[in-house]
Amino acid sequence: MKIADVFRLRSLVMGAAVAALVVLVILPIGSLLIGSIRSDGGFTLSEFQEALSGRLYVQALLNSLILGAWTGLFSILIGVPLAWAISRTNVPGKRLIQITANLSYLSPPFLTAIAFVYLFSPNSGLVNLFLREVMGIPWLTFNIFSMTGLVVVTVMHTFPFVFLLASSALQSVDASHEEAAQILGAGKFRTALSITGPLVAPAILSGTLLAFVNAIALFGSQAIIGIPGRIFTLPTRLYTLFSYPPQYGLASALSLIFVAITILALYLQRAFLARGSYVTLGGKGSRPQLVDLGAARWLLLAFCGAIFVVAIVLPYSTLIAVSFSKSWGLDFWHNLTLANYRFILLDYDVTQRAIVNSLILATAAAFLAVLLGAIISWIDLRTRAPGRRLLDYAALIPLGLPGIVMAVAIIQFWLQMPFALYGTLAILLLAYVGRYIPLGTRAANTALRQVDPSLEESAAILGAGWGRTMKEITLPLIRPGLFAGWVLVFVPTIQELSASILLFSSSSITLAVAVYNLYETGHNEPVAALAMVNVAIIGVAISIAAKFGAARVGLKISPPSAEKTAGVGG
Amino acid sequence: MASISIRGLSKRYDGQDTGMAAVSELDLEIGDHQFVTLLGPSGCGKTTTLRLIAGYIQPDAGTILVGDRVLSSKDEVVPPERRGMGMVFQNYAVWPHKTVFDNVVFGLRVRRVSGAEARRRVDKALELVNLTGLAERYPNELSGGQQQRVALARSLVVEPDILLLDEPLSNLDAKLRERMRSELKQLQRRTGITFVYVTHDQAEALALSDRIAVIHGGRLQQYGTPYEVYCRPANKIVADFMGLVNIFPAKVRSTAGRGAVALDGGAVLELTLPAGCTVGEEVDVTVRPENIRLVSAAETGPDVARATLTDQTFLGNIHEYCVTLASGLVLRVQTHPTQRLTIGDAVGVAIDAGQCSVFRRRESAPAN
Repeated sequence: MKIADVFRLRSLVMGAAVAALVVLVILPIGSLLIGSIRSDGGFTLSEFQEALSGRLYVQALLNSLILGAWTGLFSILIGVPLAWAISRTNVPGKRLIQITANLSYLSPPFLTAIAFVYLFSPNSGLVNLFLREVMGIPWLTFNIFSMTGLVVVTVMHTFPFVFLLASSALQSVDASHEEAAQILGAGKFRTALSITGPLVAPAILSGTLLAFVNAIALFGSQAIIGIPGRIFTLPTRLYTLFSYPPQYGLASALSLIFVAITILALYLQRAFLARGSYVTLGGKGSRPQLVDLGAARWLLLAFCGAIFVVAIVLPYSTLIAVSFSKSWGLDFWHNLTLANYRFILLDYDVTQRAIVNSLILATAAAFLAVLLGAIISWIDLRTRAPGRRLLDYAALIPLGLPGIVMAVAIIQFWLQMPFALYGTLAILLLAYVGRYIPLGTRAANTALRQVDPSLEESAAILGAGWGRTMKEITLPLIRPGLFAGWVLVFVPTIQELSASILLFSSSSITLAVAVYNLYETGHNEPVAALAMVNVAIIGVAISIAAKFGAARVGLKISPPSAEKTAGVGG
Repeated sequence: MASISIRGLSKRYDGQDTGMAAVSELDLEIGDHQFVTLLGPSGCGKTTTLRLIAGYIQPDAGTILVGDRVLSSKDEVVPPERRGMGMVFQNYAVWPHKTVFDNVVFGLRVRRVSGAEARRRVDKALELVNLTGLAERYPNELSGGQQQRVALARSLVVEPDILLLDEPLSNLDAKLRERMRSELKQLQRRTGITFVYVTHDQAEALALSDRIAVIHGGRLQQYGTPYEVYCRPANKIVADFMGLVNIFPAKVRSTAGRGAVALDGGAVLELTLPAGCTVGEEVDVTVRPENIRLVSAAETGPDVARATLTDQTFLGNIHEYCVTLASGLVLRVQTHPTQRLTIGDAVGVAIDAGQCSVFRRRESAPAN
C-alpha cells in the first residue's frame, strides 16, 4: 500500500487547511492585484497613476506618513525612558510601568480617541469648557481635531511596541559588555553611549517601525479625530472611496500602495531585529547593575505616572463618567443615570445585535484561526511536504495588511463569486480569520515546538493512526498553547473596526462598528456605555486566560515581543 | 519470525535542515531473539538506520524485511503503526499528560484490549520493569530511571517481536545506567524479543550485545560478536572506535608462516598478516594498551623494544604509562596498578603479538 492511502485522514485535513489559507489570504490578495490594474477587458496603470497624483490621495499618503513619523518619534521618547527605567534603574513602581504599557497596548485606540474628544473637542470638550468658562483662560484650550491630537491619541497605543522591544533588549545585554568598558576607563555616560546604545539600537528601531505601521493602520482613531479636523489619511480616504459610487479600482491601487509602505517598514523591522539578535547571545551573563537614580527616580516615576494618567486613567474615567451621565457637560454629576446601559443592552436592538454578533464572530474566528494555525504549524514542523515553508510564510502575509486593506481585498474577491456573501456574518468571519491567522499560527507553532516529535512517534509505533495520535497525544499537549492563541485572536477581534467598517450590514453589525455609528450620529452617552461593554468583554477574556495559565506556555497577553507575530494590529 | 534483513539500504539527506546522518548501502542480518547493537559516533547514521527500521522514514534505496515480509523499500513503506514493533526513545517520550497506567495501556487500547485483561497485562508489564505500585503517578512525579522503565513497559506490554532502543540509557547517571544495563540484558534474555539497540558507548555495546554492528560515515564497518569487534577489528576505524588503541607503522619482514613485521624500535613481531602482503611493505599495526607489558630494560628478546617512560597516570584500577621509543613513537600502556615506575626510567616494551592486528595502508584507508 502507498503512504497516501494510509494517511488519508491526514491528507484530507492538511489539504483542507491549505485550501482555506488560499481562499482566506491568497485569492483576496490576488484579486486586489488584478482589481488595481483591470479596466474594461484590458489592463491599465491609470488607477495607480490617479492614486499617486490625485491631490486627495497624495495628501492622504502624506498625512499617513506624517502621522506615522511623529508617532514613531514620540513612541521612542516615551518607550525608551520607561524601558530603561524598568530594566536598568532602581525606579520605584516597576509594576506600574509594566501595567501602563500592557493596558495601553490592549486598550482599543478608537475608544481612547472618543474619550479624548469628550475632553478636548474645541467647543464641547470638558477640559476645554472648564478652561474657557471656569478658569477664563481660552488660550490654553486644546483642539483634539488636529494632527497633534491624532498623534497624542495614537502614541498612547503604540509606545508599548518600543517599550517592550527596548526593555527586552536592555535586559538581555550581558552586563559584562558594559563592565568591560568600565574597567577600560569609560564612565557610565560613555559606556551607555558607546556600548549599551549601539547594542539596543536595533531593537529600538525595530519597535519604532512596528509603532509606525500600527499607527498608520488604525482606522478608528483616524476617522474619529482626523475626519472632523479634515485630516484624511490612507484608511479614511480608502473608506470614502466606498461611499456611493464605490471606486473599486482606485481603492485597490491605493490599498496596494498602503501595503507596500507597511511591508517595507516590516521588512526593515525584521532586518533591524535580526541585526539586534546578537544582544541575546550574551550567554550566562550577570544581571546588569541597577543604576541608582537618587532623587531623580521620583521624577521618572512621575513621568510614568503621567503616561498612565493620560493613556488609561483619563480616557477610561471619562468613558465611565459619560456612560453614567444623562448629558455630558461640566455638571454631569448632577444627573447620573443607568439609562444608557439600559438603552444599549435592553432597548435598542442594533446594539444588542452588535454585541451578540461580535461575541459569536470573535469566538468562532479565534477558534478557526487557531485550528488552521495548528494544522499549518503541524505541516511545517512535522512533515517533509514540499512547499511547507511557503505555507508557513503565506500564513504570515496578513501581518502586512492593514485591516481596511484586508476588507478591500475581501470585497474585491467575494463580489466576483456567484453567491452573495457581502453584508453577512460569514464575510466578516472570513475577514477576521484571514487577518488573525498569523496570531493563531504563531501560538500553535510555539506550542507545537514544545512537544517533542518522539511523543507522536511513540504513539505511532504502538499502532495508533494519525487521527488517534492527534486526538490523544498532540492536541491535549498543545491545548494550553492553543487556548492562549484563542485569547490572542479573540481580544483584537472583539474590538475590530478597520475591516468591519467596510464589511458590515445592518444585520451583521459588530460591536466596534456600533460604537462608531452611535458616535457618528451624536449619541454620546450610549456610545460610552457600549464602549464599556466592549472593554468589559476584553477584560473577562484576558482574566480567564490569565486564570488558565496562558502565560505558562510563554504567550503573554502583552504587546507582541520580538516574535514573528509582530505586524499590523490596527 | 522476527529476524530482520536489511539489504542495500541507503538514505541521503539533501540540504542541511535535518540534522540527520546519511546511510549508504547497508547490509545487515539480525537473527530472531538476538540483541544487536548499532554502534558508532554521533552522526554516523545509526539512528537513521533505526528510524528506517521503525518506518518513520523512507529509504532511497534498498529493502528492509522482517521474516520474509518487505516492510520498507524505495517505493513502499509500511507505516510505523502497522509494524507491530516497539521503540524506546532517547528522551523516553513518556506522555506527560497521562498517568503511568494510561501511558502503558495506550498500545493495548489501540489493539482493542480493555477491562480486566488490559489491567492484568499492564500490571504484568509494570512488574517486569519493577514499577509495581506507581501506576497512578504522572511522569513528572517520577525519576529519570523510572520514566525510562515506563517507556520500556509501554513498549513491552503489546508483546512486540522486535524492540528498537535509541540510546535509552544516555540520559541516566552512571550508576543507574549500569543497573539498567543489566536489567535490559536480563529482560531481553527472558522475553526473547529481538532487540535493536543504538548507542555510541562501546562499553555498553560490548556488555549487552550478541552482535555489534559498527557504523561509521553511514557505512557498516564490521558486524560481529563483541569479542570479534574488540579483538579482531576489521579495520583501523573499528579498532580506534572500540576503545583505546595504539596504531603504529611497521615494515613486513617476511611472509613465510604467519609472517613477521619489524617495528621501528628494533623489535620484530610474529603475527598473522592480511592476504597480499609483500616483503618490505609498509603496514599499520594496532594493539590495545592492555596487551603491552613493561619489562626490565635489561630483558632482551625479539619482541622487546627499548623505550623511555615519559608520562604516567594513575587511574585506580590500572596504571597508565606513556613510553617513547627511540624513533619518537609514543605508545600507551596499561599495567596493573601495583607496577610503579618513574618518569625517565628506561624500560623494555613487550608487545603481545597475538593481540595485534595488521592493516595494509591502501585497504585500510577510511571507507568514506
